[in-house]
Amino acid sequence: MVDAVSPDRPLAVELRGVCKWYDEFQALKDIDLQVRQGERTVVCGPSGSGKSTMIRCINRLEEHHGGEIRINGESVELYEARPHLIRQRVGMVFQQFNLFSHMTVVENCCLGPIKALKLGRAEARERAMHYLEKVRIPEQADKYPSQLSGGQQQRVAIARALCMSPQIMLFDEPTSALDPEMIQEVLEAMIALAEDGMTMICVTHEMGFARTVADSVVFMDRGEIVEQAPPSEFFTAPRSERTRAFLDKIL
Amino acid sequence: MRQKNRSRYLGDLLIYLAIIGAALWGLRIATTAQAYNWQWYNVPQYLYKIHEGVVYPGPLLRGLITTMQISAGAMVIAAVLGLLVAVLGMSGSRVGRILARGYIEVVRNIPILVLLFLFYFVVAPIFGLGRFASGMLTLALYEAAFAAEIYRAGIEGVPRGQREAAAAVGLTRAQQMRYVVLPQSIPLILPPMTNLAINLIKHSAIVSVIAIFDLANEGRNVISETFMVFEVWFTVALVYLVITTALSFLATGLERRFARSRASARAR
Amino acid sequence: MSAGRPGQRARWRPGAVDWLLLVGLAVFAGYVYYQLRHVLVYRWDWQSVLQFFAYRDEAGEWQQNLLLAGLEATLRIAIFSAILSLVLGLVLALMRVSSRLWPRMVARTYVELVRNTPPLVFLFIFYFFISAQLFPVLGIDRVIAALAESDSALVLWLLGDPRLVENLVVGILCLSCFEAAYVSEVLRAGIESVGKDQREGALAVGLTGTQTMWHVVLPQAVRIVIPALVGQLITLVKDTSIMSIISIQELAFSAQEVAVSTDRVFEVWILVALIYFVICYALSALSRRLELRRAVGR
Repeated sequence: MVDAVSPDRPLAVELRGVCKWYDEFQALKDIDLQVRQGERTVVCGPSGSGKSTMIRCINRLEEHHGGEIRINGESVELYEARPHLIRQRVGMVFQQFNLFSHMTVVENCCLGPIKALKLGRAEARERAMHYLEKVRIPEQADKYPSQLSGGQQQRVAIARALCMSPQIMLFDEPTSALDPEMIQEVLEAMIALAEDGMTMICVTHEMGFARTVADSVVFMDRGEIVEQAPPSEFFTAPRSERTRAFLDKIL
Repeated sequence: MRQKNRSRYLGDLLIYLAIIGAALWGLRIATTAQAYNWQWYNVPQYLYKIHEGVVYPGPLLRGLITTMQISAGAMVIAAVLGLLVAVLGMSGSRVGRILARGYIEVVRNIPILVLLFLFYFVVAPIFGLGRFASGMLTLALYEAAFAAEIYRAGIEGVPRGQREAAAAVGLTRAQQMRYVVLPQSIPLILPPMTNLAINLIKHSAIVSVIAIFDLANEGRNVISETFMVFEVWFTVALVYLVITTALSFLATGLERRFARSRASARAR
Repeated sequence: MSAGRPGQRARWRPGAVDWLLLVGLAVFAGYVYYQLRHVLVYRWDWQSVLQFFAYRDEAGEWQQNLLLAGLEATLRIAIFSAILSLVLGLVLALMRVSSRLWPRMVARTYVELVRNTPPLVFLFIFYFFISAQLFPVLGIDRVIAALAESDSALVLWLLGDPRLVENLVVGILCLSCFEAAYVSEVLRAGIESVGKDQREGALAVGLTGTQTMWHVVLPQAVRIVIPALVGQLITLVKDTSIMSIISIQELAFSAQEVAVSTDRVFEVWILVALIYFVICYALSALSRRLELRRAVGR
């Protein structure tokens, strides 16, 4: 079990009235969300409910069209021309890993630190090896992504994100593309990260992970946040009918 | 946010126009510095002349007619020859396959200009061909190699099951080809063939080096008389551009139409 | 379809079509032979043409002659233009995939203009503009003249005969500007074929758009399009011959001179065609090998 976060810690991520459209389709409707430093939030919901869109707005892979997004108290609008400065502080792990296929594992991890943080090669490599050990695959450092299993690739992706020393980590369905027997190794890496006190927002359907790790579970449907509650409440006494229907389907 | 995008598009459009304008202005500055005398007003008479209410084509339009004649003739030959080469290349005959392969390799690896000289100076005397025929045949032979590849891709694009089904109902190989495979490969063949026609018209300008008076050569002639280098070449380029652009619209249109009919066929 | 599969190579028995084609070929060859021997009464003289590659002077030293000099110029033009058109093509391709509208439009305009006018017409316009207008205005002709007069070994090695330097430079510039439009299309296709996931992965670790393009997208794109780029190189080598029309003194130009001065038309054009064929065929064999290796590597 991970310790709960006290409510007086400062806000790491704050969304207020965030809206987004794809042409006429509204993907996000008036989203309000607060995540405190060190807090672990799990986001779930049916596919197409806007979960991925929401976290992609946080690290500016997508633009939002209304409302406000603040990271550590600063509005992301301040960084409109330099979104990479946000992304250097907000790490992201993708469903499809998105490892650079022309680089080895360790090169994947070093690219950001060298090019974005301007670290020296030796220092970047040292850091990469540190995090690869943390996700327990240092021996694969000089292989290419295509030589690794899905679970290993995803752990590399986590290490790659950690190499930037992010203050916040976003996970976009990190286990959905994995074979069942590989899910656990990735979840373990995420749990270890949570135990270190990382601020995390995870879009995932792994309810076991949500129960053990999350401080708060968010349920989204059709672009809205339907319900947000601590896991104990969320799983035992959901308030909304939609949440109940969803939980019935996946549990 | 959307309002912002629109104004950015407008800004970009203005930047684009400014760059094009600057390029044209630069051309003007550079040419006038070399005492180039622009005389656009003299160009139309080389396109057409009006005498007593009747419009006569000027040298440039006459050249265009030659260009179209030679291109059209070459296109027909290339289409037929290309099909022959494609069929030979996929046939059961080993000699046929070697011939087709060899033909395609030779034509693809020799510059069209050298091919033209080879034809005009070497092949034409042996077979007693004239200037115009040499030019047309060179173009046809050159493009036929590409046409063959288009046919091959089109025929191979028809699923194997179609041919097997045709064989199963007792058609001969020629009949399978004629009644089942070729009709279905037409949507795959026609759009790239239109692109081939565009290339052929562009490449046809090369025949001016063996003194065929096509559009490009008439342009050179007018220039040697008048020294209006830029005006005439721009006009000539524009004429080619209009024709090739019109054809490429046709190609996109065909592609879209076939894509639509395929989609609706699937839906049914 | 099944008769000639490689696996069934064991015994080849020619069929009806094979015989028909063989007979046709024999008739064709016979006709050509008859025409040459009895109608045109052509006397082959390869010796005098071969002299135009190299000959022995009075002192017994081998001297390079017109055709060899032309071949050398062709190779120079091809190599320099390949490099320059790659650079220009890269710039155009990056403009084509820019997030801003205006670079996309400017590059598109250039590419479409070049691709939709005959190479010949483009070259005439460019030749006249570059050599008669741009060079004098920008003072480049003086630079080139200075280059031509310097007897530095490097200049000689790079650009060859000093008297023809300007001729060569104009040829290289014209061809590069022309081929760049096609190279840019190849590169653009490569860039667009690199998945969105790669780009997002790079952005997510905090790289800027430029860094993402340079370190993640381009290296993968170039790897994908290398066979296509070699194909484009073949086209470039072939297109060098068109430069003869604007009096760039490369192989096709020397060939015309030799053909006129010796009247050995058949020999000259057959030989020159053979030279181009050997160069281009070698390159296309290379391209096929690269493609094969990539297919195996996958």
